Amino acid sequence: MPLDLSFLDLKPAAARFMPASVLAPLDGPLEHDAIATFDLAPVSNPTEFIHNQMSKDAEHRIHMAKGTTTLAFKFAKGVVVAVDSRATMGPYIGSSNVKKVIEINPFLLGTMAGSAADCQYWERVLGTRARLYELRNKERISVAAASKLLCNMVYGYKGMGLSMGTMVTGWDKKGPGLYYVDSDGQRLTNHLFSVGSGSTYAYGVLDAGYDYDLSVADAIDLARRSIFHATYRDAYSGGSVNVYHVKEGGWEFISKTDVFDLHYEYQDQPRPALV
Amino acid sequence: MDTHPGNWGNPRPHGGSSDLDILRPVDGLAPAPSAAHGSSALPVSRTQQPIVTGTSVLGIKYKDGVMLAADTLASYGSLAQIRDMKRLVAFGDHTVIGASGDMSDWQHIQHILNDCIIDEYANGDGHQLHPAHIFEYTSRVMYGRRSQVNPLWNSLVVGGFRDGKHFLGYVDLLGTTYQSSTIATGYGSYIAQPLLRKQVEGREDELTEADAAKILDESMRVLFYRDARSLNKIQRATINPSGVSITEPYSLQTEWSFAEGIKGYGAIYE
Amino acid sequence: MEAFASTAPVRVPLEHRFSPYTDNGGTTLAVAGSDFCVIAADTRQSEGYNINTRYSPKLYPLSNGSVLAIGGMQADASTLAKRVEQRLEWYQFKHDKPMNTQAVAHMVSTMLYGKRFFPYFAWVTIGGMDENGNGCVFSFDPVGTIEKHLWQCSGSSSKLIQPFLDSQMGHKHELLPPGELTAQRATLLVKDGFTSATERDIYTGDFLEIYTITRDGRTRELIELKRD
Repeated sequence: MPLDLSFLDLKPAAARFMPASVLAPLDGPLEHDAIATFDLAPVSNPTEFIHNQMSKDAEHRIHMAKGTTTLAFKFAKGVVVAVDSRATMGPYIGSSNVKKVIEINPFLLGTMAGSAADCQYWERVLGTRARLYELRNKERISVAAASKLLCNMVYGYKGMGLSMGTMVTGWDKKGPGLYYVDSDGQRLTNHLFSVGSGSTYAYGVLDAGYDYDLSVADAIDLARRSIFHATYRDAYSGGSVNVYHVKEGGWEFISKTDVFDLHYEYQDQPRPALV
Repeated sequence: MDTHPGNWGNPRPHGGSSDLDILRPVDGLAPAPSAAHGSSALPVSRTQQPIVTGTSVLGIKYKDGVMLAADTLASYGSLAQIRDMKRLVAFGDHTVIGASGDMSDWQHIQHILNDCIIDEYANGDGHQLHPAHIFEYTSRVMYGRRSQVNPLWNSLVVGGFRDGKHFLGYVDLLGTTYQSSTIATGYGSYIAQPLLRKQVEGREDELTEADAAKILDESMRVLFYRDARSLNKIQRATINPSGVSITEPYSLQTEWSFAEGIKGYGAIYE
Repeated sequence: MEAFASTAPVRVPLEHRFSPYTDNGGTTLAVAGSDFCVIAADTRQSEGYNINTRYSPKLYPLSNGSVLAIGGMQADASTLAKRVEQRLEWYQFKHDKPMNTQAVAHMVSTMLYGKRFFPYFAWVTIGGMDENGNGCVFSFDPVGTIEKHLWQCSGSSSKLIQPFLDSQMGHKHELLPPGELTAQRATLLVKDGFTSATERDIYTGDFLEIYTITRDGRTRELIELKRD
């Protein structure tokens, strides 16, 4: 049997995904596990083209929804995920009800920071890849593998303007999993992450209150409180706080609370003592 | 085409980025995808600018049909290079297109549309494309080229009349389309369009052919007074139930005595 | 005279660099109720300070009963609408049933993302009925971010109309919860929103086209806006 040397093909990863015919790539039939191909501007440097169209001084700037606070942390009882719900386009609040936790499947969650379209699209593709994995291997994909698939997919487009900072969480054979993946191709795992323009504020609250042996109720409260304080200080974060809890049987949606209500709820409570 | 006299007879430069490279013919294909990840590929220059240009085209609907007007000038910058350019052309028996913008691109469009008309004729079924069909086809050609970032640098007015239906549409280098009872391209959109709207809007079912001709002649005259890239030699196309007729070029009478009072950008009254 | 010497930077276009994009202005709006959907748009098409035409529809009634509303660049909008309609036709041939509104919305999302690196300059909203007979509205950014709404305004007047709807439909200005929204009240607020926006936005005006979608089908209304 001849050796498969196709990996020696030193084409840039993205080139493999590029259309043979630049026009009408999505109108043709798609193989089940094929990755969709994308139209590129038919200019000598499509990367520069899209950068120019989205730059601040472009005549007809293409705005995309951005700005966020998201966080997730592992603890003894699983993973808690909490996010805000504000979408900003420049100074304009495009939406206050964005679903920034993307439900990839009943065991996997992804969070959304950066370009909403990039996160939504690639985490949906990840959902199809995870399902194909299940069908082929008769078991669920691990969080490590899923996050690596996502990472490898977006790495193929590095330098082309994708903007995505996401946390992939879930529960697999090894227990709770938490990975940070971004559009630069970075993939990390740790007990605790916060991503987005409000992440520094969230970290401040989170680090002060975090303990691996937190009870479920306390963990949820800490996550919610961290996002709330980020929305209080970060102009690009706001709306409501969505909280999820990832457990052995899959994830559970905990709550959606308007930060307006949280403000008055926290106002009358005694400040937690900082050690 | 190298239009600079100093370069006549010399080989055309290759791969460089001189101003004249914009004229280099390019195929309709995108560059190799590998160009996306670096600058190893040679830059492909296809962004162009109009060279020999025609100015405004006007079009209006009237009671019995549609009428277009354009002058016969093709300018090379400020040079009035071609003074008998045909900018109104019939396609089939019911449609006329008037073109402003780049005249070589316009001739290319004529080739494309004539091929299309011939293909239809060759079917031998006696069918002819409606004005709306020709308009749609033209707009897809224009949008297709803009999507290749290699536009046909024109603003086109499509006028037609068939089966009792008026048609007057606009399409430009971006593929933008619209239909209206008055249309004016280029300079005409600033100077002539308000005049046309005032006289035509709401009166489309009253205006006679003579009224329409008078309105267009008058608007073309006003344009000639202010548009430095225009000519008083114009053509008019009429599309009515008996088909298409395009006048031979004729001259508009002008009266310049009022210009005595103009100083700077406007009249000065003392 | 000194007063005529302008200090404003006057740039003479020495070189035309081709941009494949333009903004033709206009505003679109959609409202979802429990048993209806109202979707509306003005019909002015502009280019810079010129009004190209007073009637260039931004609403595209689809064969499945939904309505597509697209603002931004007209050429991209009509191209996208044609592609969507063709997909609906293929779906009908293949499955012998019309595509439901939610499926259309997710399809549009992937179609927009398919041009992620050469985007359609189009702000898309879809209004229709869901499978339970409730009104539904989905909106998208140019690269396909999808979001479900109860009301949503996009385009040149979005910043004028959206806060008005948030107040009048969502009661965001007071603590009282909003009551049940009727199609009549929704239509009234839509008309008020557009007439007010026409006063302040040069890219909105001429006519307001409204589609009202219910279980019984789709009706169209065209009312006049100011033409100045």
